[in-house]
Amino acid sequence: MKTTFFILMLVFKLALSAQSVHVGDAVLPFTLRNVDGKMVSLNDYPRAKGFVVVFTCNHCPFARLYTKRLNDLSRTYGPKGFVVLAVNSSDNVLLEGESFDKMVAEARTQHLEFPYLQDEQQIVARSFGATRTPQAFVLLKENGRLTIEYQGAIDDNGAEPDKVIHHYLADALNNLLNGKPVLVSETKSVGCAIKLKSRL
Amino acid sequence: MRLLLLLQLFFMAGYAQNYHTLWIPDTLSGTTFNLSAKDTFQQFLTGNQTVTAAFNGSFWGPTLFWNKGDTVHMNITNLLQDSTTVHWHGMHLPAVMDGGPHQVIPPNTVWQPYWKVENNAATYWYHPHLHMEAVEQITEGLGGLIIIRDSVESALPLPRTYGVDDIPLILSDRSFNASNAFTDVPYGDSMVTNGVLSAQYTLPAQMVRLRVLDAAIERAYNLGMSDGSTFYVISTDGGLVDTPVAVTRFLLSPGERVELVINLTGKSGSLDLKAFNSALNNTIGGGENFSNGPFANALGHKDFAVLHINIGAQTSSPVTSLPAWLTTNTFYNADSANLTRLVTITDSTGVTNPPILGPNAFILDHMLFSMTYNNYTVPYGNTEIWQITNSTNFGHPFHIHDVQFYTLSVNGSAAPAYQQGWKDVILVEANATVKFIAKFTDYSDTLHPYMFHCHIALHEDEGMMGQFIVQDTASAVSTGISTLNANATDFSLFPNPAGDKIFVKQADEGRNIYYARIIDHLGRTCFMLPRPDLRKGFDISSLSNGHYFLQLTDDATKLNITKPFVKEQVK
Repeated sequence: MKTTFFILMLVFKLALSAQSVHVGDAVLPFTLRNVDGKMVSLNDYPRAKGFVVVFTCNHCPFARLYTKRLNDLSRTYGPKGFVVLAVNSSDNVLLEGESFDKMVAEARTQHLEFPYLQDEQQIVARSFGATRTPQAFVLLKENGRLTIEYQGAIDDNGAEPDKVIHHYLADALNNLLNGKPVLVSETKSVGCAIKLKSRL
Repeated sequence: MRLLLLLQLFFMAGYAQNYHTLWIPDTLSGTTFNLSAKDTFQQFLTGNQTVTAAFNGSFWGPTLFWNKGDTVHMNITNLLQDSTTVHWHGMHLPAVMDGGPHQVIPPNTVWQPYWKVENNAATYWYHPHLHMEAVEQITEGLGGLIIIRDSVESALPLPRTYGVDDIPLILSDRSFNASNAFTDVPYGDSMVTNGVLSAQYTLPAQMVRLRVLDAAIERAYNLGMSDGSTFYVISTDGGLVDTPVAVTRFLLSPGERVELVINLTGKSGSLDLKAFNSALNNTIGGGENFSNGPFANALGHKDFAVLHINIGAQTSSPVTSLPAWLTTNTFYNADSANLTRLVTITDSTGVTNPPILGPNAFILDHMLFSMTYNNYTVPYGNTEIWQITNSTNFGHPFHIHDVQFYTLSVNGSAAPAYQQGWKDVILVEANATVKFIAKFTDYSDTLHPYMFHCHIALHEDEGMMGQFIVQDTASAVSTGISTLNANATDFSLFPNPAGDKIFVKQADEGRNIYYARIIDHLGRTCFMLPRPDLRKGFDISSLSNGHYFLQLTDDATKLNITKPFVKEQVK
């Protein structure tokens, strides 16, 4: 008796979250404002093999554990054709700490070496089905289409980088660069929730 | 056989190495308390950390020490991305300070309730009470203990050195997914004591007080010692019992607290405080033995350790015996009751209003909870008997806000000796009837209600809750809106622009203010101040320069008037 109700509650909650997008799905290129004030579009990188889109935010302590690792990933894979882009899809009206000004300050103090883009209308988070910070997506560009080749966690240990066993994101990128299939293409992201504005 | 024994020894040794030292929550004392709810993470398992939320950064938050008679001022900052509330569980206080589902704190907002501590020395707690979000926010780790001291308790030779012979024990359980994240479930697979898996602690070989809170979503804990020894109940939810009550088992349900004294005098080695839940039948939370479905869990209907106790040396001045007499409680006499309320617990079969959530919830008084429906109006000063009749096949811990009650009867008989004390939660077992008596005094409010509900957070979220207002009918008539001079609630602000503080000048200095809010130019609430002391002004030193609004709600009429002001800090 209680069981059905619990499941109903779960369904109800899931219905409120973003649509789900899976590996193999195509996504549309987006254009967002970077912390330097300039607009950044995926179409600005005609020679890119693909993109690493990482949803993150200013306040989440778990997401902030990955700042240095994202710089390293950007340095390693940017020259190889995979451009790292961070996207902040937080509700910047409700959450003062996620405002554009605070993003600019965060990019400066954390020495971000990659674009940090504001998804003010949460359009990108919705179209990717992003729910957590950090949450990574690897996009491969083929015949003008962008398909998701990996989505999920960056790796399997936030606070202890030296104890990481599975470098999910790097493994996916290495395989793509070597023309091999991505073995683990979907993992669960852990981190703070991305709260979507209601669309009533 | 020998191999089996060896294997067993191997596993026992391996298990012993997996104990983690019990975390003793930090403490805060004084009369002003700063608590911030924030997202954080914690190492529960090997590998990835678990994302949690917590007050002041730890799961669970700091233990608050209050003295009876003090006025405590709370600065509650919500740094979460979600709204939340902070409920002062067990506290007798104005409804607008209670932290129930109506006192919602939006993100980035500071809520500043205050009240005079009228409760007896005992163990209480604070936790979120946002409607339909209680399971999620309590699971994340938002909550903590409150310890109240008073002159009666302080005069007794009881163990009271926090973390040494006076041990806080917050019991709950959690399940983890493959990425070590919490899953929102009614029952977790792992026992979590004070936010620690497989907890162990060294206690001195003397009388030790355990302040135990059941902070689980649904599980009850049938507490006992692994060596079968007797222990003593000295305090129920809201104060000392008259005399220590010797027991070998104590059933603690969600929301309930109990103070137990265990006697380790003359003992050595180690033993366990255990939950003997294999003795519970399937009508008690944690007694069910589901093998699959959302209620299946590794601890269901099993005995398991709550705390592994290593017995250490005595302290320099150990408590080695308990006083025979603790206090003299004066409970309300059934004859003094003005009325009896009949509260029913049923399932929602046949209930069509509101119809959205279907027929399968447990409910009170044949209806699902509605934020806008007031179940009862309690006349100010009333002494009432509440008779809770459970006609379902499952036990529900019934909790009422504002008051501590005395249990008159359980199924027509006197409550057991260990429940003969002040309570704010009582387990109403399947097909049972409980009668308690309480007095509704000191605080009346026609706008903000108090809640009564099942303290199984899942049931509460599903709508097993009701609300009541305490109304002072005499004063409501004399200050009615018809007598209002329309200009009397007007006010002005000075200085404006303001730096660190802004003050209010009322047209009618005699009017009381029910609520104040400071709102920024985007409509975000920065401060929520129930019943502000206008003489002190408003501390706006933390606000950035810019345009704001101050909204005052008049106490008698509950009308709002809003005035703009400019914050301008010259640097």
